[in-house]
Amino acid sequence: MKKTLYCCLAGTLLLAALPLLLSQGLLNAAIQMLIAALFASAYNLLCGQAGMLSFGHAAYFGVGAFATVHAMNAIGGTGLLPTPLMPLAGAVGGLLFGGIAGWFATQRSGTYFAMITLAIAELVHSLAPHLKTIFGGEAGISTMRMPALGLNFGSTTQVYYLTLVWVVVAMALLYLYTRTPLGRLTLGLRENRHRLQFLGYNVHGLSTLVFAISAMFSGIAGGLQVLSNESANYVVFDPSLSAAAVLNTYIGGVQVFLGPAFGAALMTFFGYAISDLTRSWLLYQGILFVLVMMFMPTGLSGLIAIAARLCTRHGLGRVLPVFLLAVASVMLAASGLAFTIELLQRLFSQEYRSLLQTHPDAAWPAVMLLDQPWRPGAPLTWSVPALLLAASLWCYRLCRRRLQMLCVYDEQMAMTAPVTIQHGEDAA
Amino acid sequence: MKKLTLSGVAIATVLAACTMTVSAAPVKIGLVETLSGPQASSGQSYRTAVRYVVEQINAAGGWNGEPIQLLEYDNQGGPSGAADKLKAAAADGVQIVVQGASSAIGGQITEDIRKHNLRNPGKEMLYINMGAEALELTGEKCNFYHFRFAGNAQVRTKSLVEGMKKANALGTKVYAINQNYSWGQDMQQAILDNQKLGGYTVVDKTLHDVNKIQDFSPYVAKIAASGADTVITGNWSNDLLLLMKASKSAGLKARYGTVYLDQPGNLANAGELAEGNFVAHTFNAEAGNEDAEQFVQDYLAKTGHIPVFVEPQTVYGMKMVAEALTHTPPKDGALDVNALAKTLETTRLSTPMGEMSMRASDHQAQLPMVVSSVSRDAKHKVDGTDMGFKPVLLLSAEQASTPVQSSCKMKRPD
Amino acid sequence: MEQFLFSLMNGVIYGLLLFMVSAGLTLIFGMMGVLNFAHASFYMLGAYFAYTLQGMLGFWLAVIVSPLLVGLIGVVVERYFLRRVHRHGHAHELLLTFGLSFIIAESIKLFYGNYPVDYRMPPSLDFAAFSMGATQYPAYRLLMGGIAIAMFIVIYLLLTRTRVGIVVRSAIHRPSMAEALGHNVPLVFMGVFGAGAALAGLAGAVAGAFYTTNPNMALELGVMVFVVVVVGGLGSLVGAMLASLLIGIMTSMAVAVDSSLADLLALFGAGEWARNVGGLMTLNLSSLAATLPFALMLLILLVRPGGLMGEKG
Repeated sequence: MKKTLYCCLAGTLLLAALPLLLSQGLLNAAIQMLIAALFASAYNLLCGQAGMLSFGHAAYFGVGAFATVHAMNAIGGTGLLPTPLMPLAGAVGGLLFGGIAGWFATQRSGTYFAMITLAIAELVHSLAPHLKTIFGGEAGISTMRMPALGLNFGSTTQVYYLTLVWVVVAMALLYLYTRTPLGRLTLGLRENRHRLQFLGYNVHGLSTLVFAISAMFSGIAGGLQVLSNESANYVVFDPSLSAAAVLNTYIGGVQVFLGPAFGAALMTFFGYAISDLTRSWLLYQGILFVLVMMFMPTGLSGLIAIAARLCTRHGLGRVLPVFLLAVASVMLAASGLAFTIELLQRLFSQEYRSLLQTHPDAAWPAVMLLDQPWRPGAPLTWSVPALLLAASLWCYRLCRRRLQMLCVYDEQMAMTAPVTIQHGEDAA
Repeated sequence: MKKLTLSGVAIATVLAACTMTVSAAPVKIGLVETLSGPQASSGQSYRTAVRYVVEQINAAGGWNGEPIQLLEYDNQGGPSGAADKLKAAAADGVQIVVQGASSAIGGQITEDIRKHNLRNPGKEMLYINMGAEALELTGEKCNFYHFRFAGNAQVRTKSLVEGMKKANALGTKVYAINQNYSWGQDMQQAILDNQKLGGYTVVDKTLHDVNKIQDFSPYVAKIAASGADTVITGNWSNDLLLLMKASKSAGLKARYGTVYLDQPGNLANAGELAEGNFVAHTFNAEAGNEDAEQFVQDYLAKTGHIPVFVEPQTVYGMKMVAEALTHTPPKDGALDVNALAKTLETTRLSTPMGEMSMRASDHQAQLPMVVSSVSRDAKHKVDGTDMGFKPVLLLSAEQASTPVQSSCKMKRPD
Repeated sequence: MEQFLFSLMNGVIYGLLLFMVSAGLTLIFGMMGVLNFAHASFYMLGAYFAYTLQGMLGFWLAVIVSPLLVGLIGVVVERYFLRRVHRHGHAHELLLTFGLSFIIAESIKLFYGNYPVDYRMPPSLDFAAFSMGATQYPAYRLLMGGIAIAMFIVIYLLLTRTRVGIVVRSAIHRPSMAEALGHNVPLVFMGVFGAGAALAGLAGAVAGAFYTTNPNMALELGVMVFVVVVVGGLGSLVGAMLASLLIGIMTSMAVAVDSSLADLLALFGAGEWARNVGGLMTLNLSSLAATLPFALMLLILLVRPGGLMGEKG
């Protein structure tokens, strides 16, 4: 318990020190990662803890965002609600809309619940472009952060600290929630609704309350995004944003409290970093989703938990080669796959095809990859990814064998361990 | 995350070896475009055109002895992605931001740049808008640091009406069908405003959901019921194609006046049903002088296809920026964005279509417009079909121009 | 009058197209409980395969071979991807299909480019069936409707009158019992998934020639197909037919209606007030044509969650 507390404190200190370590561009990415982490944690409250898979959570994020932007334009960051407290407007918006939507949605459970949430989100998404006064058309509504409490909130660093404070406070509140009786009841909703009902609890009211709280924290996340971007646009209601929330949560792993936050931060950074490097980054993202779902069903936090268990059982020394082989296998496979996809993308691109058309008789010209020319006819071009993939497969095989050997060694130790017979205190 | 042009790196190494000014800061141009996702096709057209001009500028020596660096950012098709990438661009030292693929993103960028410039005096950024044609960008949202090098709904509609009238294809009854967002609404208003000029009446108008409708036959049925001779629409990509296909299969005998018929893929998909319809666009090599043909061949040689759709307007917009850059002396070895903006306001460029200039009151470029009709007699065939765009009317920048909007209250620095 | 009839016919044909795509999805949904986000991608694959094969095999053969290819892909997806993830729960299956839809869409963009491709109906089919007043009705639309109706009859007869159909239906309702009786239920699952994918591929091959074939096809049709499945009832073929016809006609007829809620309230004398309120009150029904299906879906889910023909409650 104490260890986790120290780890959390260390993590928070590290996050607080980031503006000194990162460039402004990366700091902005860090703000987006924090917001995504909060959204995923709020979503996990409903999905992982209460067991209600919702497909339209972006609606509450969006409602929070628009509530905040309207509050910023109306109140202007002075008086009762200074700029740092603006996400409270988002919280209120999310709470109200989440309460209403939740009351309807939680009347059904399982797949029907998911469909209702999807329908609500899609309805809002379809209506939003038509209601120009509330949602501002396709340019959205823009606002400006007004100075408050002596700070002018002009630089990214100040916005980062504001976001960090809000996210830390919200995550602490979410964690304390799990420690309250209400938090325990939420777990009960996931485990056995009928039993809860028999115990006398109003399950419908309880589900609505949990839904509303989850929507409230999503609204706070939406408000934080508005503070950072200074505008809100109806594309925030897009179903892909809801899907991103679900994906981030499951990639991070739903069993651990910080799992979804971790998954969200990672995927946001992935999108940010890769989208500028390659045109097919959505393809990589799709492949990542499929692979994680197939091979890491417990998510990244589950993977870390498995690794930790292996360490305690066998000792770090024996387990380290396994880890290194696994990492090597993944990196080789990733590079081989990326090489192939990038090569194919260049070969099938519009520019290359028109180049081929202008010189139909000549041999196919080389494509540029990693600042080197690669000719499509040369065997080297195709043998590089083939070698990488083969090496990855070999590492994977080695890794599996080592893992099996560890388990076998374990069994052997258990069988040959000296049996201690406890002599009772017989009176001789 | 940035991509440097290979030629830029090469020229940089050569110049660095023999340059004397160690403290010169190169100009960085940031392209914040939709390079992935559903609308990636238009973003990539802008990228090709911008790269073409930057290579030409660097081949001629760059600016202040340094090559211009082109950094590319993918805004992932949405305003929030654009806001993020704009901040990344600002952190990377970009001074000129170029974008064109979406009016929604344009609205976000112009506001973000305005706020950035307010908060960071001395480190201003400029927004060069190559294709976001919503009226509000030179209306309520007009901003000293925003320059639009594309047309807008009023200019396009006025040119289209003049061209179709000259070709006797306008008729007296017009149906206006547009997409229900700022661009479509601007087009609808422009069609209504030009009734007297064109001598027609708008018999009915419709605004439909953007990019959601697969089956346009109910709308075609409405058009048929209204008895219109001509349909004027600002629709683009699928919305235009499906509308025209639905018209053809219903046997509707109306002419189409469009703005985006020259988008790649449209003619190939539409086939013969596109023949005889009109488009108001910014470039048609057949209507220009000898330089037009030379430009087309040079672009074809460098990029593998002839310049179509938004590429010519982007090329000439960038050439105007390049022209303004050559007349902007460096300040302390770096580019002074305020000086560049003031120079840009008075820059004139002669293009193969006519002379192009910038209007200082709302930063809307005054550019010549061409109205063409789809025909088999066109010189340049498009999309691998046997049809192309044959010019009907070439309007000079003065003829195509429409007045400044009263909602533009531009705050100038100093 | 003719506008009304045309709107009705167009609505029916569009509804039949929706049925072709959602028939497979409702069977898969009812049987495996898998919300297959990649189903609309199979529709898109069918159109692209037909486009590629049209050059080699001609239109009719391409329309026959393309669904078979898509069905094969469906079988592979079920066997090697979904089955692995099945034991982890619904959320994982769903996210897997979501990732698959990304992969399919991006792969198509990789190989075919971002712009729409030139997949058109053959000139032999490009004529008008009949004309009413000034407008004509294209024969290809009737062909699409005919194929959809034929598909419905074939599947219905297969499911209710043949042995295979009985096994499939029992696997939908009581999979463990069917397995206990000795039927190879995993094989049934694989077959139904493949057949569902093939149906979507057929819809794509036929409709892609009439509408446009572009990489965003899946996004455009995707959500509507879900609405159909939910409104019709999960697992019910007749429900899917009813729901798709209902949604098709509703969207088609709504376009012709230019009145709004304010006009309705004007009948009761509250028109002026409604117009002053603005916002939702003054929106024309014609602009809301694409939003109506979602409102219908929400209504059905709240009032009768099993759908029109599904089980109650």
